[in-house]
This record gives sequence, structure tokens and C-alpha cells, in this order.
Amino acid sequence: MKYLISLLFITFSLHANEAQSIIKKLEKNLRGDYMYATMKMIVTSKRGKRTVKIESWSKGNKKSFIKILYPKKDRGITFLKIDNQMWQYIPKIERTIKIPPSMMLQSWMGSDFTNDDIVKESSLVEDYRAKLLSKKGNSATLELIPNEDAAVVWGKIIITVDLKNAVPVKETYYDDMMKKVRVMTFSKVEQHGSHRVPMVMELKPLDANKKKNSTKIIFEKINYDAKIDPSYFTKHALKRYSR
Amino acid sequence: MRFTLALKNILKSKGRSLTTLLLSMFTTILFISYVALMDGSHHQIIKSSVEIYTGYAHVNLKGYRDESSYENLIEDAHSIDIILGDDASIKEYAPRFETYALLAGDEKSVGSMIVGIVPSAEKTLSKLPNSLIKGEYLNDNDTNAIYIGSELAERLKVDIGSQVAMVGSSIDYSIAADLFIVKGIFKTGLFDFDAQSAFVNKPYLDTVMMSENKATYFTLNFHDNDRIDQATAMLQNKLPSEYEAVNWKTLLTALVQAMLVDSLFGYISISIFFIVIFFVIMIFSYVNIYTRAREIGLLRALGLTSKDIFGMLFVEVLLLATLSMVVGTIIGASIAYHYELHPIVISGIAETYKEYGVVSDEIPMNFDLFTIAWNALTIFMLNLAAIIYPVAKINKLTAMEAMRYV
Repeated sequence: MKYLISLLFITFSLHANEAQSIIKKLEKNLRGDYMYATMKMIVTSKRGKRTVKIESWSKGNKKSFIKILYPKKDRGITFLKIDNQMWQYIPKIERTIKIPPSMMLQSWMGSDFTNDDIVKESSLVEDYRAKLLSKKGNSATLELIPNEDAAVVWGKIIITVDLKNAVPVKETYYDDMMKKVRVMTFSKVEQHGSHRVPMVMELKPLDANKKKNSTKIIFEKINYDAKIDPSYFTKHALKRYSR
Repeated sequence: MRFTLALKNILKSKGRSLTTLLLSMFTTILFISYVALMDGSHHQIIKSSVEIYTGYAHVNLKGYRDESSYENLIEDAHSIDIILGDDASIKEYAPRFETYALLAGDEKSVGSMIVGIVPSAEKTLSKLPNSLIKGEYLNDNDTNAIYIGSELAERLKVDIGSQVAMVGSSIDYSIAADLFIVKGIFKTGLFDFDAQSAFVNKPYLDTVMMSENKATYFTLNFHDNDRIDQATAMLQNKLPSEYEAVNWKTLLTALVQAMLVDSLFGYISISIFFIVIFFVIMIFSYVNIYTRAREIGLLRALGLTSKDIFGMLFVEVLLLATLSMVVGTIIGASIAYHYELHPIVISGIAETYKEYGVVSDEIPMNFDLFTIAWNALTIFMLNLAAIIYPVAKINKLTAMEAMRYV
């Protein structure tokens, strides 16, 4: 009996370790010290389809700067994220405004992402405990349960990983009542420098009222090797790089 | 014979009869007044919430109340305007465009509700113009003018003439931003509302939000708001199937339910009082009946049955309870009627209880004949029930035992 219990414990530990190492590999692949990207965000809702073109600069997961390139009406709007704070600059009114915590769950640029999604810096390795649910060939499914002290809004995340490329294939998000709330899928994996990156991400909310909604992000350019000027991560940059 | 005997007994023992009468009468007055006050204060809270901003009824797209987003807008406000204008039961109506946006003063930014209103129409539909405490209310030609809640002004650290930046989402989900000048500051007393609401002339806000000919809902008042369920149902029949007409009972469900729970606790409290009153009346009747044990024994010896004795005592209580109920009801109903017309004023109560939606220092009573009738009948039945035990007990004694009873 003791032998059986020990065997079960060892098997469980091995599974937990394996799950944790998969997540670590995944984060290492997707995150660089610096990243420059241009992307297209296609937001589909009951009111129609809308395309937003974005240019972004980031340093690790703590600092990022975003500039809206298209549509014309929104061109030049900039966002700065430092740690868990966010500011935006609107050229039309020439004002820099800090986004207060009460607006963090509001939609970002009309998409299915919230301001909180843009700001949060949660790390799958640091904030979640991973458990391997299944593994078949190059595909593994993991369950991520948030650590008790982690400042995350999800009850759990089920993630399917492409082990060969160390990229996610599908992430299903559950709220704290363990109800499925949204699904994010990843596709079109490409090699950029030493990183393998899914160039298309699609987020679909599962709320009954948002059946027609989806937000697709298509990366057009990604560069992990460019060193980004630190001036991008200051409040002055909001106005300076808006033009 | 029972009636004559009972009447004689009442008149013979004036002190005892008067005490019973007064006890029942005051209980009746107290109960009617208590319930009238409780219902009155609940009606006052609901009326305030309805009249300050919500309005008696709304017309909106089905699904809007579950998901108040741009996906559920009234896309052709003009067509709804025509339907409401043709409905003779509607006294006044106006479209509103409610959205959430970021307001920023020089130092702080706060997420708040921004509403496009027709300023002239709101004068009769809501208490917004009456709640002005500083500056001026909006007019129908205003452009970059904003009318904001007192708490919100404090949070943004702005005053009349200050500039406020608004950043929100227009209905095509592009960024909507503009600068406004604070024209007026209001205070309704509803703390959350004053801390999170700002109003702009709708035609101007529509140019910023790209929401011309669109509305989140129409607010309206009927000529007869007392028959609102029927009026709402009739209006629903005139609307296209994708729209719904809902009245304040649905719009303020949470508040209505909170008031029901409060009433329930009120009745539980008063029922404890009833139990005490019931035992007081019963003990009083018990003492009364036992002080008359010799007399009852004599009546039994003269040939009256226990049924006759019960009947006699029951008629006595019936006469006293009826008289106390009539007098108590008249006085209680008069109090309720008087304080419905001239509410009790407790200075400072609105300030103290503003979080609970108390927006006035006036606490009116509610004069409702049906409520008064069931209140009075409850006390009447309690009076009758209170003599059952003492009479049953004395009827167990034989004539000799009763006559020897000390």
C-alpha cells in the first residue's frame, strides 16, 4: 500500500514538474527582452466589423507603448503601460489621461480585450500552478489554477500547447465560478529570430449576448532583436510619438 | 338575553370596560400608524428614486437591460418618438443616450456615466433641473456644457467654469473625446448617482458619439401613473416586437425587493409587539373573568349553561372590541391621512440616511383603506382570541366551586 501511495505521489510530482516546465518553455519562447510589432486588430460585433492598425513597443512584460495608426479618426492615440498603470493621450483634445482602476474592466478600443488585459503583467509561471491533463504526440493540455496570492481575475485556464513550437494553440478562460467565459485560439506559427510566434490570435467571448463578437489580432511585423529607446516608456512619449 | 346581560355588565363595571376599551383602541391606533409610517417611508424612497432620474417607464430594445451596450441601442429613435407621441396615455417622454466614459479634470480622472438628455423635456420627466445647487442647468442649445453631480465634481476637483475632458467610445467603437465646461452642479441626495453621473445636451453628445437618431432608451410618464401596469401593457402592444416597455417596478426591482424585505422585518418586529399585547389582553381578561367568578357561579346556579356563560362573555368582548376598533380605526386612519398630506419632518434624516436613498427630511404616512382595514381586523381578532382561554378555564369550574372562588 505504502508503495502504491509513494508511486502515485511520485507520478503526480513528475506530472506537475513536467507541466511547469512546459509553461516555462512557452513563456521563454513568447517573451523577449524587447519587442517591436505592428498588427491589425479586427473587431467583429453585432454592429459590424472594424479594423484597427497598431504599432507597439515593449520591454519585458512591465513596460509597453502602443500607437494607433488606423482608422484615421483614432490615428495618433497613444497608450503607455508601466507596471500595472496605464495612460492614454488623445491628440484631438491634447490631453494625457490616466486610466483609473474603475475603468480597467472596460473594453479596450471597442475590442473584446479589456484595459486590464492590456495592463496586466501576470505570468503563467509565477501566478499559476500548472497540472498536466493530457499529452499526445506534440500536443499537451494543461490546467492552470491561480496561486492564492496572485492578482488575477480568472478561476482557471485550460491551455493546449504545441510542444514542438512551444506556442499555445488554445486557451479557455474560466471565471471564479468556474464558468467558461472566453476562448483564445492561436495559429499561423512563424519563426522570428530565436522565437516561434503564432501570428494570428482570435478571442471569442462566450457570453450569450456576445455570440457574434470576436477580436482577431494579426501580427504583420515582429522584431525581438531591436533595442528600443527607453524614451518610449515615459509619459512624455505619449505626446511626442503621437505624431 | 345574552346581549342585555353583556351590556349591563359593561355598564356596571365602567372602569374595567374603559380599560379594556382603551387598551384595544390604542393598540389599533398604534398598529395602523406604524404600518402607515412604514409603507409611507417605503413609498417615499421608491417615489424619490423614480422621480429623481429613472422615470415611471422606459421603452428600450429587448435585451438592453441585460446588456446595456451599444449592441442594444434604439437604432431609429425617430420611429419610437412617433409611436410615443401618438399615445394619448403618455403625458411626456424623451430619449436618453447613456454611456460610460472617462472624465478628467486637471488632476484626476474618474469613470462615470455620461448621459445625453433633452434638457427642456427633463424639466417635467425628472428632478435633475430641481437638483441644481451651483451654476446653471442645461438648455437645448448647449454644446460643450456639462452638468455634473456634486460628489463627482468633488472627486474631479472641478467647479463651475472648469474644463473637463471626456474620453469614451463612440457607437462605431472609435475613441470619442471632447472637452466640456462645467455649467452646473447638482445634488439629488442619491450618493452614488451624484458621484457617478454627468449630463450633456443630447444633440451635441450625439455628434461626439456618432449617435444621431439613436437612443439607449426613452423615459416617459403616463397621465395616470397609479395604473402603470395596465398603461405599460397597452403601450407594449403598440411597439414593434423588438422593443419593450417596462415600468419602474421592473426598472427598480432591487429597490422594490429591498423594501419588501424591510416590510417583512417590520412585520416580524410588530408581531413580537402583538404577542405581548395578546398576552396583556388575555391576562387582563383572565383577571377580569376570575374577579367575577362568584357572579358567574351564581349565574350557573340559576341555570345558565357554560355555553350561555361563554356567549355572554363573548358578546361583552365583541361589543368592547367593536367599539374600540371603530374608534381606533377612525383615529388611526385620521392620523395616517393627516400625515400623508402633511408629512412628519425630521431635520437631517436625509443627510444621515442618504446612502439608503432617503432624499427628503419628510416622512409621509401612507393612507390606504385596505391596509387600514386589515390592520384593524387583526387587532379585533386578537381581542376575541384573547378571551377563549380565560372563559374555557372558568367554565371548567362547577357552580359551587365558582361561588366559593376567592
